[in-house]
Amino acid sequence: MIRVDCLSKDLGEFFLKDVSLQIEKGEYFMVLGPTGAGKTILLETIAGIYTPDQGSIILKGVDITALPPRQRNIGMVYQDYMLFPHLNVEENIQFGLRTRKVPRAKARQEVAELTEFLRIDHLRHRYPGTLSGGEQQRVAIARALIVKPEVLLLDEPLSALDAETKGKLREELQRLHSSTDITILHVSHSFEEAFLLGNQMAIMNSGKVIQTGEPVEVFSRPNCGFVARFLGIGNLFRGMSTMKDGLAMVDIEGQKILSVAAKEGQVHASVRPEHILVSRKPLDSSAQNCLKGHVRKIMDGGAVVRISVDAGLRMVAALTRCSFDDMKLRQGSSVYLTFKAADVHLF
Amino acid sequence: MFPVFTRIKKSKLKVITLCCALVLGVFILLLLLSVATHTTLSALIESLGSSEIQFAIRMSLITSIISTIMCIVVSVPAAYALARYRFFGMSLLNMILDAPLALPPLVAGVGLLIFFGTTSFGKGLAELGLAFVFTPAGIVMAQFFVNMPFMFRILRSTFQGINPRYEYVAQTLGATDVQAFWRITLPMAKNGLAAGAIITWCKGIGEFGAALMVAGATRMKTETLPISLYLNMSCGDLPLAIAAGTILIVISLISLLLFEKFSGFARVF
Repeated sequence: MIRVDCLSKDLGEFFLKDVSLQIEKGEYFMVLGPTGAGKTILLETIAGIYTPDQGSIILKGVDITALPPRQRNIGMVYQDYMLFPHLNVEENIQFGLRTRKVPRAKARQEVAELTEFLRIDHLRHRYPGTLSGGEQQRVAIARALIVKPEVLLLDEPLSALDAETKGKLREELQRLHSSTDITILHVSHSFEEAFLLGNQMAIMNSGKVIQTGEPVEVFSRPNCGFVARFLGIGNLFRGMSTMKDGLAMVDIEGQKILSVAAKEGQVHASVRPEHILVSRKPLDSSAQNCLKGHVRKIMDGGAVVRISVDAGLRMVAALTRCSFDDMKLRQGSSVYLTFKAADVHLF
Repeated sequence: MFPVFTRIKKSKLKVITLCCALVLGVFILLLLLSVATHTTLSALIESLGSSEIQFAIRMSLITSIISTIMCIVVSVPAAYALARYRFFGMSLLNMILDAPLALPPLVAGVGLLIFFGTTSFGKGLAELGLAFVFTPAGIVMAQFFVNMPFMFRILRSTFQGINPRYEYVAQTLGATDVQAFWRITLPMAKNGLAAGAIITWCKGIGEFGAALMVAGATRMKTETLPISLYLNMSCGDLPLAIAAGTILIVISLISLLLFEKFSGFARVF
């Protein structure tokens, strides 16, 4: 559907270096990365705002690298909405139709249908300054969708919203994607959004794409230390791996853990905190890693509590509030950490 | 009021600085009132009805409106370019465009006089019927040259305050860059444009030094309100001079009020 090949662009502070992506028709593609990773410039280059220094952008088999934004049929929605403040909601949404010289009556009808679909028809005569963040974002999405773009680019569309509005708009985006089958490229900081919305995702840093894949795969199998740290994998170690009975035994500061990954030599090992079972007594389970340790620190996040455990290695495990309360864990409590060899990822 | 006074009592700095501001305000007010009340109301009305003052009002209005339109036409694209694009020599060009602001108007007038009076370009224009030296067109040119930086600076700052992403979005929706500017950025800059136009017009109507050098001070020919004030003060006709002065004060105060109103909203977006 859309292919980005070896795209490079240098804007000084922000840049892209050899970025390549392939997004299929109807896919919801998430791009995650820290601030300054080049996510927005990637979207703006795809939209045609910037001409790349090198590389190409292919949309439905056609090279659109040199086309101006107006000829690409790619919609763009920014985090801060960018609704035209001197136009009311209807005029904002109509803008794309008016530039395409669609007759006024037809434009009005199309706006009515779309605003009804996005549940913003009651806002049509209001000005952007009088709308809430969530309403403005819906209008911005409607304005981009009215011209029926091939691809919709979303630049952190949910990050300026409060938690409740964010949840509702996330559902709207899911509904929009499933009912229209539009191809979406969505830039975000949030892993939660990537999990809930994305079919595929890419992690970017310093202008480069570091890893691509399905969200579950990227989250459980980061390909480098940066991705592991960025995705909040609390347990990331360096150690020496040797193969034994078809399993990799990784020696980390004298502590040994087993992994199903077939990798030898110096490796990074990562275990997601939510993949570790915490218990007061050793568990009778098929999991091949069981470490004894003491709770060093408790990080109470409300519904989820994370504990830092000294088990020869400093490991972080995540528990539900209910489990944490049941076990009556305190600083210094003795615990067992149990996790499967399949949940130890080596790279 | 009460909490303000309570706090002032606690701070010597506030008392001193506020006193300075009040003394300055009273001084300016007294100065303006001394001009307006120097003559009687009936004498003022009679002077306003004189053909000379009426000519000066007409000349001031026509020249200042034309020069303000010229400032808008030239400053809008120039300010947009310097707000949006980065290019070699940008700082130097910015400084040059601001220069007339720092230049004494008399010096600007001498420059204009030499440029339009002695160079072959100026002479060529005069032969084509566009003479600037000692003509009302010279007044327009003087007002334009001296006051253009006011319009330019306000517009540059206004355009800098408008996120270019509005235009990007417009372009993704099918607009050309010119359409995006015309239909999105320019309407969003309307308060800056209004504030710039008011201050430019107000400065234009009061322009004296440069206009005097280029257009001269010929009664009933190149006589604007400031020139009228100058000519009548020179020959001792105080009522006419006061009438011209009073009109200029009223115009300035109204313009200031309007400017405050629009400039307050100039960078809302």
